Amino acid sequence: MASVPLNQLSATSPTETIEQRFRRLEAAWISETGHLSSHEAIVNHPAFREIISMRDAVIPFMLQDLAERPRLWVWALPEITRADPVSPGDGGKVAKMSEAWLRWGREHGYQW
Amino acid sequence: MVTRFEDLFPGLRGSPYQVTAPPDPSYNCLAWAAGVTDAWWWPSGDPQQVYWPSGVPREETLGAVAAAFATLGYATCKHEGVEIGYEKIAFFANAAGVPTHAARQSSKGRWSSKLGQLERIEHALRDLEGAAYGVVALLMKRPLPIGSETAERGRTIARLA
Repeated sequence: MASVPLNQLSATSPTETIEQRFRRLEAAWISETGHLSSHEAIVNHPAFREIISMRDAVIPFMLQDLAERPRLWVWALPEITRADPVSPGDGGKVAKMSEAWLRWGREHGYQW
Repeated sequence: MVTRFEDLFPGLRGSPYQVTAPPDPSYNCLAWAAGVTDAWWWPSGDPQQVYWPSGVPREETLGAVAAAFATLGYATCKHEGVEIGYEKIAFFANAAGVPTHAARQSSKGRWSSKLGQLERIEHALRDLEGAAYGVVALLMKRPLPIGSETAERGRTIARLA
């Protein structure tokens, strides 16, 4: 699988919407780390870090994805929001973590 | 045509392998090796984000992985061949000895791997060795539960042999 040059990750086109940028970075992240299990390698990938840097703007897209099926956005949301709605004991249970974040989203007025 | 799996794992090219489950970020290779499909197992990371058995060191070492699977009844072994009455797990590590992946053996000597967030595949063990996962660095086995279909089939074969 070809590596995505780092300088391409930030190659935001003037006409690229926030969602398009989010999806482009997501595709690069999955392409590079989808087969990995190391939490550290996955969350430290440059595309994942760039998604984190987009802060609150990406929360609705992440919640929209979580409503479809569990995703590892549950590892990004605590860093973006500084919240932790996951019940003790559910750490690592991605489906339960996804449900907790969807509840958090509804409680905070997000729509997706 | 070279598939994305064969791109990642050149050993799969020309080798019979098959996708056995769709992509699912709910669980990963170590969870699947442990027989779990609802959690992400890894020996590092925030316990609020990643599952690891309590009491086992949270460090990315083969020792920590072996300790975790010892809690499930596994002990280290030397051979990757099928042993009647046992189930086996193989752990991969990179050149620095850091664990990267786990696969579990099926009754016919094939191996089943959950590839991170991606699909689950059945393959020959060494076909996943290479740049992505490194090499098989640790093998563990445990007795199959008495009464399990696989264990009973194995015992029947052993009696007839």
